Amino acid sequence: MASNIKYPDKSMLWFIEGDKLGLLSNVDSSGNTRTTDRKQWKAISETVSEGILLSYQGEPNKVTSITSSLDIDNTLQVSIVDYVKRCLYMDKAAKGRQEDSAVSLSLAREHNRKFKEGVRKYGQRKREKTGGTRAVVPYDLT
Amino acid sequence: MALHTIGVKNLISRVREVFPDAPENYIIMLINDALVELGLYNVKNMKAKLDVKADRMWYKMGDDAIDVSGNPLNLNRLFRVDFMDSDGDYIQIPRLLDTNILLNDVASEPAIDFPS
Repeated sequence: MASNIKYPDKSMLWFIEGDKLGLLSNVDSSGNTRTTDRKQWKAISETVSEGILLSYQGEPNKVTSITSSLDIDNTLQVSIVDYVKRCLYMDKAAKGRQEDSAVSLSLAREHNRKFKEGVRKYGQRKREKTGGTRAVVPYDLT
Repeated sequence: MALHTIGVKNLISRVREVFPDAPENYIIMLINDALVELGLYNVKNMKAKLDVKADRMWYKMGDDAIDVSGNPLNLNRLFRVDFMDSDGDYIQIPRLLDTNILLNDVASEPAIDFPS
């Protein structure tokens, strides 16, 4: 069901406060602009089924069993291996003898460095993989 | 051509090359911790639809928020909102940056829906 608002880009606003989305409108339920100077922007006056489309960065789905797949781009999956090994080496360092602990701590730091590097390298650039320019294609002038 | 991916089973076997006694459940817990940390970066762009209710100003975006199909939003950062116009098309609406608004139009909302 469509709304009564003809130009949402001029009659609607959104903002974030805390963990809530605030939605404001300056039109009444018939789609006419409110004429009052004060209190022009208020909550929307009509009910619209599937009225908002959100675009957002989501959190990957959690893993529940050994047969699950990782809900993350494959460029970042190796970083998860580094994260897990980092934690296990830190556990080992906490449990082991002093000389073993030093080696485990050093390996934990190495995996931590690789994890952070992988995230910095691919976490921000992931969109380039699907949306970025891969090759410059010249115009065909013939 | 198949894409090379690492599943949980594969990941556990990689880890067990070095830590043969590492418990499976503990590794899965660590994988989930890693996914939470990776979720802070721009790793998964998503879209979802929400119903709009008359006289409702605030909409939940927290961990318990769900879309129209009842699926959890799992939202980390909202960067665009579109609203359905009178033709049924979704049109991008502007974001208000100065949120010190004069009017808090919550008269018809339960107190629990006010931002915490």
